[in-house]
Amino acid sequence: MDTLGRILMVEDDPKDVELTLTALEDYNLANEVVVTRDGQEALDYLYCRGKFHTRPNENPAVILLDLKLPRVDGLEVLQQIKADERLRMIPVVVLTSSHEEKDKMRSYKFGVNAYVVKPVDFHEFVNAVKELGIFWGVINEPPPGSMEKLP
Amino acid sequence: MGDLEERFPRVEVKRTLARWDLELHNVRSPILRYGLSAACVAIAFGLALTFQYYQFRDVEVPVFTLSIAIITWYAGNGPSVLAVLLSMLLFDYFFIEPRYSFDISSRELPYFFTFVTWGIIVASFAAVRRRTEDGLRRAQEELATRAAELETANKELESFTYSVSHDLRAPLRHVVGYAELLQKQSSSVLDDKARRYMAMILEASKRMGSLIDDLLSFSRLGRAEARKTAVNLNQLVREVIAELGQDTKDRDISWTIGALPVCYGDRSMLKLVLANLLSNAVKFTRIRPRAKIEIGCADGKDNQVEVFVADNGAGFEMQYVNKLFGVFQRLHRAEEFEGTGIGLATVERIIQRHGGTVRAEGVLDQGATFYFSLPRP
Repeated sequence: MDTLGRILMVEDDPKDVELTLTALEDYNLANEVVVTRDGQEALDYLYCRGKFHTRPNENPAVILLDLKLPRVDGLEVLQQIKADERLRMIPVVVLTSSHEEKDKMRSYKFGVNAYVVKPVDFHEFVNAVKELGIFWGVINEPPPGSMEKLP
Repeated sequence: MGDLEERFPRVEVKRTLARWDLELHNVRSPILRYGLSAACVAIAFGLALTFQYYQFRDVEVPVFTLSIAIITWYAGNGPSVLAVLLSMLLFDYFFIEPRYSFDISSRELPYFFTFVTWGIIVASFAAVRRRTEDGLRRAQEELATRAAELETANKELESFTYSVSHDLRAPLRHVVGYAELLQKQSSSVLDDKARRYMAMILEASKRMGSLIDDLLSFSRLGRAEARKTAVNLNQLVREVIAELGQDTKDRDISWTIGALPVCYGDRSMLKLVLANLLSNAVKFTRIRPRAKIEIGCADGKDNQVEVFVADNGAGFEMQYVNKLFGVFQRLHRAEEFEGTGIGLATVERIIQRHGGTVRAEGVLDQGATFYFSLPRP
């Protein structure tokens, strides 16, 4: 597949946004990255409502989800996505600072596709982001319907 | 009070007399206490009369004194005095010649006084014993309260340590990230000195990252549940050595593994103990052309087994032995041997959680031996 899937990044810290985007850009994976700054915005985006009501109704190829978010937090977003028929096919990768067993447990219980702890070492971080981007954005076939219009 | 012994297995809680502990110890209502005192004496009196009817003399003394003892024990000092007085009066009226009067004939006087003295002695003993029991019970209650407070404080400290380390990781990641980007961005315009400063910033940040990560896992250790099973130490040692294969493939190491017993503990924690001790041994024998590492067991005391890991590496001076197990404590410079100094602190923490002890012996530049003890299954 030579078109790049759209990535939805849900991350509230602007520095983390910048570092992740830089890493993605380095490997030309950042063509279509949408950044939402908290859980509520992410859900609005996915449901095409609020300020996103005019966007084309397409699911992203993957969601990079941070857990510590203001307003609606990451685990709630995950839970809602995986509970919704229309959204639960979207692969979700939790990208977080938390090593906490219970965060991991709950994420997997809700059906997360991958759980990645952001490494402190920048090279490792860049590498992890690159591998995630290549795998989910290029190698993996996104679920059907990601590129078509939904009713 | 049962869980006191579970939580503090080394503290013997005297429970024999606590079994006789009736609710009366805490009864404050004076009517109830004095009433019971009178009732008890009345019962004793009834018994004594019965014995008298059947011509058993000298039984009334034990019967009355027993009732005095019981009253003192269960109802306190006031009712005790009442019991002594009532017994005295009843004894005088019904059992001392002339009967049915309060006069005491001179023949009976010694008998009467003996009775009264005996009654008072019994009451005093009972009172003293009761006070001791009360003291013990109060001490036990205080112990339980203190233990609970300590546990809460400990849990809070663990949470605090965890959340501090955890929250520090994010900004540290940012420092490292932007420093790397800066280095990449501007390496062409930086002179040698500036490039070196840049490298120092990165090195220091990475070191901070290791320290925080180590502190995080150390603190997590304190909060984890220990699942205890029978553990085959020999098998664990073999696994650890296999996992160290990467670090030892270019090295000449002679491993001597003695017969290790099966012991009782959390398998993954014990594996961490062995991993830390063995990787230390491998690290500090790096300076030797042929490293010699021995793992064996020594005779521990009673129901414990003592395992040791001995090496012929850099060793240490015994005067610093107390610092060895401290968190982030190191006896060598960073350029001599790398590490954050959390390995031995982790070992000590795990072994202590298993109810064992750690110790170390060493000679500078000759080698070191580390011992840990564990309970037998």
